[in-house]
Amino acid sequence: MPVLHVFVKQVPDISTLEYDPSTLAPRFEKATPRLGEADLVAFEAAIRIKESWGGEVVVLSAGDGVNELVLREALAMGADRCFYVSDQRLAGADSWVTANVLSRLSRKVGKADLLLCGEASTDSGNHQLGPRLSEALNIPCVTHVVGIELSEGLVRVRRILEDRTETFETGSPLIATASLELASPRLPSLLMIKAASKKPIIKVNLAELGLDEGLLEPLVERLSVRVFKTARRNIVLEGGPLECAEKLVESLVKEGVFKA
Amino acid sequence: MHVLILARELDELLELRAVADQIGALEVETLVPKAMTNGEDLASLGLRRAYFLEGFDDISPDGLKKIVIDLVGKVEPSLVLGPSKKVFRELFARVAHNLASPCLTDCTSLEFSGGRLVVERPFLGGGYVERLAVKKLPAFLTIQMTGRRPKIRERNGPEKVELSKPSSEDFSLRRVSVERVERGGADLAKARIVVSVGRGFKRREDLKLAEELAQLLGADLACSRPLASDLGWMPEEKHVGLSGKWISPQLYIAIGISGQVQHMVGVRNSRIIVAVNNDTSAPIHREADYSVPLDLYQFIPALITVLREKGVRAT
Repeated sequence: MPVLHVFVKQVPDISTLEYDPSTLAPRFEKATPRLGEADLVAFEAAIRIKESWGGEVVVLSAGDGVNELVLREALAMGADRCFYVSDQRLAGADSWVTANVLSRLSRKVGKADLLLCGEASTDSGNHQLGPRLSEALNIPCVTHVVGIELSEGLVRVRRILEDRTETFETGSPLIATASLELASPRLPSLLMIKAASKKPIIKVNLAELGLDEGLLEPLVERLSVRVFKTARRNIVLEGGPLECAEKLVESLVKEGVFKA
Repeated sequence: MHVLILARELDELLELRAVADQIGALEVETLVPKAMTNGEDLASLGLRRAYFLEGFDDISPDGLKKIVIDLVGKVEPSLVLGPSKKVFRELFARVAHNLASPCLTDCTSLEFSGGRLVVERPFLGGGYVERLAVKKLPAFLTIQMTGRRPKIRERNGPEKVELSKPSSEDFSLRRVSVERVERGGADLAKARIVVSVGRGFKRREDLKLAEELAQLLGADLACSRPLASDLGWMPEEKHVGLSGKWISPQLYIAIGISGQVQHMVGVRNSRIIVAVNNDTSAPIHREADYSVPLDLYQFIPALITVLREKGVRAT
């Protein structure tokens, strides 16, 4: 029966995120933490595989200030166990450091047949975790996956690129990064949330992973984050369809993009 | 600064060559599909060497990774640039990890500041911009395509070097099928007027309304992510937004699009944005120059009627 490792990241809920009007920097401390959008999709895909094939779904996460309540959400959706690393040293972690930590954590937890993560995180959107895990663990990787089929000893995945759709086959293990279209994440029922409180969440110390200093040293330093401000005119056209259409055409003629 | 550019299409190479110009690259080499080295397209781009591969698209992800690792070892660039397309993001992240190097995707600008390479890229879906300093070279950067063009130099054709491909049997991951998407119409990145459709359309056949408007204006048709990937009503190459095309038309008409930040980041460089959406709380209205808070099924036919009656066309 397949063992599935799903990598999730705690990110700020964008809908509750505000920015400081003087510095234009986001106020992360005031935003609600949640699981990344594509992570939830990867997670849902893992649960569905478990539902048809049995096996085990293990959730893995790493960061600074990881909130166990957020990880409980994954357990409520149907994961069996959760392992995480939470360490101040990971506050400035880039994709290099994160992949080094998570690959080592995955190895420590045990062998997996399928390793899943989102195609990109909701905050940084680097698209790098899956490909970097592939190198760190020496396991093949397919990104932007929209379909996963398992058969005896074989995994078949489909992905959509800008100009083509591709299907790959391989034996396990395989790393797949989930495109948002792979699955619609379920909402856990009250019963599942209750059951989740008994499932194990295990904190692993960063030191236990035995990572060399060089593997924990970020290669990129974030200098600043600021909100993107747009200056649009926000002219609201009023009236019925024909009236609005006439006003719009008239304005666009004045703007020089249309001519009468 | 020594730059290696990877590209699958001429437009990508031109744009990345312009980026290399911006940061004052002294030596530029490239790796491209064989077809791009036929003819004179590369002659006036000031490239020292053009490495090329036959059947670029058919090479497995593992094979391409190996080729690029070997090439980077040979060329020893400080910077490797590629377009922000799915294949390149994946490839760059893998090669970078293998070489214990930094990789940044979807970069919108790069410059040298205080002796360091500083990059800007979208953050939190595009609602924010993050500014990052690269601490180690070589760095692997995928660049968001926005239509930059390089200066044209004297014809001094690059030396062309064919690279050999590793045997596909070396890898456990097999590509068992590929379906190519037919290219429909012109390149969106160059469009002057874009009519874009979103979830506000209830049925696929209703897109005819937008098609009729686009035809009347000589505009190109685009869409938000769900219409391409969830519903499959539009081809993936027409998807505009964070993970799709970034465009900068004179006029962007968004019909039935809610305007999530992930969509807006792809159209912010438009000169004029018109939003047609009867949901007055939709975020698109905050980022529009002209908002039409009406049902698209009533407004678009009215707009077509007015354009026809007045004989209005695009300039």
